[in-house]
Amino acid sequence: MSTGLHIPGPDVDAARAERESVIEVRDLVKVYGRDTRALDGISFDVGHGELFGLLGPNGAGKTTTIRILATLLRPTSGLARVAGFDVAAHAHDVRERLGLAMQTPTLDAFSTGRETLELAGRLHRLSAARLRRRADELLELMGLSSVADKLTGTYSGGMKRRLDLASALMHRPPLLILDEPTEGLDPQSRTALWEELERIGAQGTTMVLTTHYMEEADRLCSRLAIVDNGRIVVEGGPQELKETVGADSVVLQLEASDGAADDRVGAVCRRLEGLVPCEAVGEHPAGVVLAVPNASAAVPQLMRRVDGDGLRITGLQMSQPSLDDVFLKYTGRHIREEAADQPIVMWG
Amino acid sequence: MNTLTAFTYETYWMGLRTTRRFFRVPSNWLSIIFFPLIQLLVFSQLYKDIVQLPAFGHQSYLAYLAPGQIVFASFLAVGWSGYGMLVEYRNGYLDKLRASPIARSSILAAEMVPLFFEAALMAAVLLVVSLLLGASLVTGVGGALLILAMSGLFGIAFAGVSFIAALLTKSEQAASALSLLMFPVVFISTAFVPRAVMPGWMQGVNDWNPVTFQIEAIRRLMLVGYDWPAIGKAVLSLLIVGAVLQTGTLLAFRRLAR
Repeated sequence: MSTGLHIPGPDVDAARAERESVIEVRDLVKVYGRDTRALDGISFDVGHGELFGLLGPNGAGKTTTIRILATLLRPTSGLARVAGFDVAAHAHDVRERLGLAMQTPTLDAFSTGRETLELAGRLHRLSAARLRRRADELLELMGLSSVADKLTGTYSGGMKRRLDLASALMHRPPLLILDEPTEGLDPQSRTALWEELERIGAQGTTMVLTTHYMEEADRLCSRLAIVDNGRIVVEGGPQELKETVGADSVVLQLEASDGAADDRVGAVCRRLEGLVPCEAVGEHPAGVVLAVPNASAAVPQLMRRVDGDGLRITGLQMSQPSLDDVFLKYTGRHIREEAADQPIVMWG
Repeated sequence: MNTLTAFTYETYWMGLRTTRRFFRVPSNWLSIIFFPLIQLLVFSQLYKDIVQLPAFGHQSYLAYLAPGQIVFASFLAVGWSGYGMLVEYRNGYLDKLRASPIARSSILAAEMVPLFFEAALMAAVLLVVSLLLGASLVTGVGGALLILAMSGLFGIAFAGVSFIAALLTKSEQAASALSLLMFPVVFISTAFVPRAVMPGWMQGVNDWNPVTFQIEAIRRLMLVGYDWPAIGKAVLSLLIVGAVLQTGTLLAFRRLAR
């Protein structure tokens, strides 16, 4: 998609940026009607150049937070500042520094790609010369040069999203806000967009995105906040958060003839005495499942102890905790109740 | 850039977009001129002998019909104008504009200003076709320009009906239905028959019907000359209607896009 074209990064006073947070949110509350608390006291900071994620199920309050930051919604109480400007009192200043790409691409079907970018640039007061050049650069970057003069109504879903992202970038905003950036995209388009966002982040643009896809948060975010029911449940880097779950999961597949499930648990437990506590050994349809910190280092010893003398290991599966496990730990629920996005793992 | 320059700049560039939106869908402007053209062509032939009614007061039915159809065209040009904004509210485009560093008022102005030109253009088509079919325009080019300017003003004045309906109900069906309520206002006017030939109650209604004022002013411009009292009456009524409906539109818009 990209030809490795280098385009200049965001329009930011670097020295000042180092000192200040790009986003400051304190005790943000949003109440709809009389008693619907969409946001119940959210606080977080985003520093210059960070790729910050809000991860959580639908209805958690992620989009509400984003809309308040984007000056589309007024908070009921609390504080939200973007680039030092209050979103309620200085909305205009915030808007000058913001690029926004919402969940569904917001395009005028009867404008061409180029016209869309040029209008976005004009509304941000880009000069005519810069306008043309910048639109050309972005069209090239997003692989849309060949369809630049076609109506956006004729674009595919992936193309619309790329154009939407390009239009958010026209004025080189210091902050890019993305709401569910890859929602509904096929896997290839999703990966391509992730690569594009990584490139943009690498150039120094601060990004805030909301998502309910763990893989997206995992891959893109340098830091994330898990949101549930209008509150931030826990915050940290993806790896850091996964480590709080404490243990990897190891499934030892045992031969069926080795006895009933609870016998197997007991047998394995005895053999792993001293290495793995019995509470960490659980039942599993294919054998047993163990919760083991730093499993990859422990596996050789586990296998030596368990295998042999009546028990036969026929296979092994190891998985590190996922962000869903983190969510489960802190809220008692899965991010997506339907588990439609869970990987399908074949058992023995 | 000071506020006024900024407003003009924003309205201009966003206005270009809404204008393109209108012209790039041929069914938009084709369906606008279709109905008045048909009425002009068909009724001028079908009912041409209506001029023989004693009180009618005109020689050519075509010439009589033309002003009404010109006004009809400018009316239809804005009949569904609120739709565009409703669609953009729904699909998030309006949010995109609201998150841009622009005045909210220029968003609305960018919808309205092009309507002046669209209404004038649609009226121009009907004017030209009427002239080609044999209607006369005694006031010549000057009169033509005045007719087009008044048609543009008519468009802006009445666009509010569609916008208020669309922005308040947020429903295409409701917006359509409410816009259709305007049709009787047009049909009851002196578009088809002079006041003198109408039943008493209709005559009474037409003493207050701004559509009739507009039609009569244009009729005078085409058949008689510069009837300034009639023109003044029409323009004044449009300014009043426009002020009321545009205020309503502004309030409805504010509610939608704070």
